Amino acid sequence: MKVNGISVEIPVRPTWTLLRVLREELRLTGTKKGCEQGDCGACTVIMNGKAVNACLVLALQAESQEIVTIEGLGTEDNPHPLQKSFVEEGAVQCGFCTPGILMSAAVLLKKNPSPSLEEIKKAISGNLCRCTGYSKIIKAIQSASKYGDVQKSLRVDTYWATSNAAERRD
Amino acid sequence: MQNFEFYSAKSIEDCLDYLSEKKELCKVIAGGTDLIPVLRNEDIYPDYVLNILGIESLRGITEEDGEIRIGPTTTFTEMVESEVLNRTLPLLVQAASCVGGPQIRNRGTIGGNIATASPSADVLPAVLILGGVLEIRSRQSGSRLLPLADAIDAPYSIRLRPDEIITGICIEKLPPGTRSGFEKLGRRKAMARARMNMSIVVRTNEEGIISELRIVPGAVMPVARRMEEAEGILSGKRPDSSLMDAAAEALADQILRVTGVRWSTEYKMPVVENIFKRVLGQLLWNNKRGKE
Repeated sequence: MKVNGISVEIPVRPTWTLLRVLREELRLTGTKKGCEQGDCGACTVIMNGKAVNACLVLALQAESQEIVTIEGLGTEDNPHPLQKSFVEEGAVQCGFCTPGILMSAAVLLKKNPSPSLEEIKKAISGNLCRCTGYSKIIKAIQSASKYGDVQKSLRVDTYWATSNAAERRD
Repeated sequence: MQNFEFYSAKSIEDCLDYLSEKKELCKVIAGGTDLIPVLRNEDIYPDYVLNILGIESLRGITEEDGEIRIGPTTTFTEMVESEVLNRTLPLLVQAASCVGGPQIRNRGTIGGNIATASPSADVLPAVLILGGVLEIRSRQSGSRLLPLADAIDAPYSIRLRPDEIITGICIEKLPPGTRSGFEKLGRRKAMARARMNMSIVVRTNEEGIISELRIVPGAVMPVARRMEEAEGILSGKRPDSSLMDAAAEALADQILRVTGVRWSTEYKMPVVENIFKRVLGQLLWNNKRGKE
């Protein structure tokens, strides 16, 4: 599969999910493991341009697909406008839901750079946040365009935590 | 998750061969939004898992001679965005848009919703009320057509042999002038399993008399079905508030006879009646009070 613009080949077990491969094989731990039932959205990644729960995709079903994780959205030096906006607007509390919400919001803004309140609510309706009342999150998504081009390519070949991921064979 | 052998079918033929060999040892996976959680809980432990998402011909929505054909691996998002469905069968679009959240709708499929046959399914009752017919194939017996109404037998089960697979869902377009509505009630707006949902199809003639009425409440009975008693009270009549109340009462009675009195009855029955009146009122008089 392609992850954040880079082709990767990893041996997997049939029972592994995409989430496990991203976190434990590729060490891309920005994608969070929450409920593992598809309820919380903490593991949201972009697969072929669409937001999906990585816990509900078998790794083998992700073969040859294009995945973008939070690590591909932006870096500390070059953050995505959404990331800047979340920091500036105080939309991050404990931060566990944030990567998933950023991915859902990124898909929305890519299609529709100036969404309505309802469209934003709908886009993040599959992501649970238990700290905030969502209002700052929604505000941050609304103001993201102040911080740069919200439609910029998501497949940036940037930050890549390789560690010894590719060599693991367990 | 217990170990299994995974196979991605390359074509329908390939898929039929695999199923005819593995039969009940095999589970079919498409979007995986229903299957992966039960695999993880080890509620089921198949020896083989057959992926059908790679079969291009099982996906997509086509329109031919008054009939809509939906491939089983068409996702809910694809249904919601389909020009054909929005124009011809808006009820299905409404039902599909109520499933889970965006991430679930991007993966979950219409075939999976039907094959899982959860009592709280959202799309299954909508296909049922529209008279949907399943196109089923197997290596052994070729292809057959099975109306969804005859396919549903028990919660989480449809009459499909282990070597069979759904290859299409066929739905005839509704006659001109027919209106349809769907409403879902969950514990919250998104990501909720339906506490109940209500699908209604209605057509009135020039004199305002109901010439056809179909009612399918979802998630309130072990399996979804048409409610003939309530349909009969309004069919062939000019609807008014008192007939509407009578039909709502008959609807609740018929449900109660199926389920018996349960702890939730006191809440559910008035709510079923009100949702029914609201959806039908909207269709007949463009108001949500269920009154003329």
